[in-house]
Order: sequence, then C-alpha cells, then structure tokens
Amino acid sequence: MTGRDAIGARVWRESDATTHIDVRGLPPPQPLIQILQLVQRMGDGAVVIVHHDRDPVWLYPELAQIGWWADVVDGDPGEVRLRLARSTP
Amino acid sequence: MMAVAQERPPPTRRVGGQFLAGAGGRLLPASVPLRWFAAAAVFHALAWLALAAGASQWPGWRGGPGWPLAALHLVTVGTLVSSAIGASLQLLPVATRQPVRGPRLAALLWWLYVPGAALLALGMGLAQPAWMVAGAALVLPVLGIWGLLLALNLRGARGMPGVVLHGWGAAASLLVLMGSAAALVALWNGTPLLPRDDARALHAAAGVIGVMGLLVLGLSSILLPLFALAPVPDEGAQLRSGATVCVALLLMALAAFAPAGSDAAQVLRWTALLAAAWALATHVRAMRRSWAEGLRSDLGRSGRLFRIGWGGAALAISFTAIGLVRGHDGADLPWGPLAVLAALGGWLLSILFGVLQRILPFLASLHAARRAGRRPPTPSALTAEGPLRVHEAAHLAALVLLAAALVNRSPAWLLAAAALGFVGALAFVGFVGVLALRLHRAARRSATDA
Repeated sequence: MTGRDAIGARVWRESDATTHIDVRGLPPPQPLIQILQLVQRMGDGAVVIVHHDRDPVWLYPELAQIGWWADVVDGDPGEVRLRLARSTP
Repeated sequence: MMAVAQERPPPTRRVGGQFLAGAGGRLLPASVPLRWFAAAAVFHALAWLALAAGASQWPGWRGGPGWPLAALHLVTVGTLVSSAIGASLQLLPVATRQPVRGPRLAALLWWLYVPGAALLALGMGLAQPAWMVAGAALVLPVLGIWGLLLALNLRGARGMPGVVLHGWGAAASLLVLMGSAAALVALWNGTPLLPRDDARALHAAAGVIGVMGLLVLGLSSILLPLFALAPVPDEGAQLRSGATVCVALLLMALAAFAPAGSDAAQVLRWTALLAAAWALATHVRAMRRSWAEGLRSDLGRSGRLFRIGWGGAALAISFTAIGLVRGHDGADLPWGPLAVLAALGGWLLSILFGVLQRILPFLASLHAARRAGRRPPTPSALTAEGPLRVHEAAHLAALVLLAAALVNRSPAWLLAAAALGFVGALAFVGFVGVLALRLHRAARRSATDA
C-alpha cells in the first residue's frame, strides 16, 4: 500500500506490518499534523515509522498526550527516523 | 501491547525525548523560558497592585511619573515584553529551524532585565527620576541584545515569510521604542531630547502596536496552528497584514511629528487607523480560516481568550476612531484611556494568557521528555485547571470593571477592578507554580527510576 495525500506526505505499509510516513520536505506544522492524523487512525498494536528531515520537537508532547511513544531508530544519512507505538501502561 | 513489544526491533536509543538531544540546538534549558514566563506572571500581579496604589490619581492622570505610569509599565515592560522575550528566544528558533543563540546569554539577560524592570516601575510609581534612570540602564541594553538576537534569528530564517516580516517590523519598532524611552527618561531628568508629546506618541505606537502587536500577530501565526493542529494561515494574508501594520506605524510616527491639531496630523492618524483596521481584519480572517481546518478545533479557554483578544483589538481601534472624531472634550468619555485598556488588557494580555496556558505545559512536557527511560508527563497532567478557571473569570471581570471605572472616573470602582485583577493574576501565578512543582517532581521520579 502506498499513497501521497493532498499535502504531500507519503504513506505506505511494509510486509512486516509497519506503516511508514515520509514527511520530509513538508513545511511546519504539516509534518506534525500528518503524523498525528495517521497515528489517530491506527489500531492497537500498530507501529508507525516516521521518516523526517529534522527532530520534530513539538511532536513528543502531542504523542504523550494521546498515549503514544517514540524511539529513534537508525535511518539514512540526514534523516531522523522514529518508531512510534502506543505506550505500555 | 505484547505483540508490539515482540515486533519491536532493537532501537538505537530508548527515548522519550532524549532524542531532543538532536534538537538540543533548538531548545534552551527549561529554566530559561520558564523563568521569563514566571516573571511575566508576577509582574502582572504587581501591575494590579500598582493600579490600586494609584487609584486616586487615575481620574486626573495625564501622563508622567506616578503609580498609573508604573502600572502601565508593569504590564508592558514587565508582563508583555518578558513573555515576548521568553517566547521569541525559544519558539522562533524552532519555527525557523535554527539553533538558539547564546543560551547562557539568554539566562543572563533575565537577571538584568527583571530587576531593571522592577526598579523602573518603582521609580515611576514613587516619582524618583534617578531610579528610573537606573532601571532604564538595565532594561534598555537587554532590549538591545534581545533585538540583536531576534534579528540574527530572522536573518537566517528558512520559510515562514509572514512571521519573518512581522519579526522585522517588531525589531525596527524596538529601536524606536528604545529611543523614545530614553528620550522620556531624559526628559524627566531635565534633559529634553524630544518634545514630550512627540516622544510619548512614538513610544506608545512603537511599544503597543510595533513591538508587542507585531509579535503577537506574527507568533499567533505559528502558535494557533500548533495548538489547533491546523495548516499555516495563508502566507499572502500574513504578508499583507504585517506590511499594512508597518505602514500604519510609519503613518503614526509621522503624525507624532506633525503640528498638533493640524489637518495633516488628522489625515495621517485616520489613514493609520484605517490601515490598522484592515490589517486586523485580514489577520483574523486568515487565522479563523486556518483554525477551522484544524484537527483540534475546540481550544477551550485558550481559544476563547484568542477570540476575546481579537475583539479587544477591534474595540481599541473603534475607541481610537471615536476619540479622533470627538476630539479632547473633557466632558466626553475618556476614549483614549479606554482604547489603551482595550489594546493592552483586551487584546494583548488576553492573547498572551491564552498562549501561556497552552505553551507552558507543552514546553514543560517537552523538557521532561528529555529524561530518558520513562513516559514524560503529558501537558494536561502538568496543567492546574482550577487556577486557570479563576484567572479567566477574574481577568474578564476586572477588564469590564476597569472600563466602567474609567467611564465613571471612579477610584472606588478602580480599586474593585484592581482587587479582581489581582486575584486573577495570583491564580495565574499559582498555575505557573503548580506546573513548576509538577515538572520538578517528574524530574525527581526520572532520576529515581534511572
């Protein structure tokens, strides 16, 4: 599954059942909006991989507020890659 | 949940914001912005006390040293500018994707500015020109350095042309504000550098509309979309609005130097007023459109304060227009003071408190997240709702009562307004205090967990 919505974020699903969103190049606050919109559509146990070109500092309080958590994982050079999942209670 | 844990690949770093280390260049230590915002909240409470101290002076006050002047400056220099410094030092680098410059300098500025502002206000209240000079000697250099930091940030900004234009307008106005402030302090110390009325007119326009107004308009274009999770307001509208405010400021400056009561001065003032009205309408239309498209359209108390703020700005323009039509008739309503009240209290303070009550828990949560290994406290967990409810009610009631006091020229009503305003201000200080306490506890828990 792959697609690009009107504002330009690319969203696709990998064979390991993770959903990816690439928000590189989008002007602020579009990355924040696109990521939160996607996350809110995801069910329990979902994992979202974010491909970003900078550290999205405003995202983390928003994620915490809705019970999600972020890990930084290895990405390409110049990329900030995050792995988002629901917080364990 | 277990399934998630089993699927999870080994992360390179376990973080809840430790990854903010990557953004460390864009974040000041939490204590720096929070200290500026806390000072703003305390100055706000002191402003209401100064208003009460000068209650008997207000009906006949026509400017000059005294508690009314101190109250005004505790609001402007104390509350509004402290908040603007804290917000611009922290928020602009994030928005313009740049590193913060001189974090230690930003911390040092607070230690110079806050005592300076307090001394300035005390000197005004007690009519002590030497104290005013000492206060201004601390405040003005800090404003100069802040202006420089602001300009450096704007020079390297990527994108956000509307915000950048507002920022440049504010930086230029800051120069006029500082120059006119120095001229006024020199005048009160017996050295006239500019005619009194010219300096006052320049000072008021540059301070209220130039520095604070442009910053509020510009930062709103960043913050409201952030709060509402909405698209950036139309850049063209932002540019048109910001440029028109700058033109209005230029016309006001020219009017300040035109012969008093001349046709030229009237034409300049009317043109400036119409430009300001058009700019406000353009700004509000763009903001409302953006807000309506947001994921989070109900901003609760914060959203109400934004709307009240826009209403306050419209009232300020209306009162100024009526004042221009009616002239200086002593028997008429005090349109000038009412316009100042609507601008400072209705517009700027309402929007400021709408912003602070959202941004403070947000910033605190963001910084708490820097401590790895546990889930950070959420913004809502850091927010004390009770004090904010009290503040909102008292703020609005105090403004209405203060307007009634000005209309009736009643020191007793003014005292009642000051009492209500003080209660609201204390409630806001309580909100900031609870937030600091909860942040501190979260930090201690993180340290224990680690």
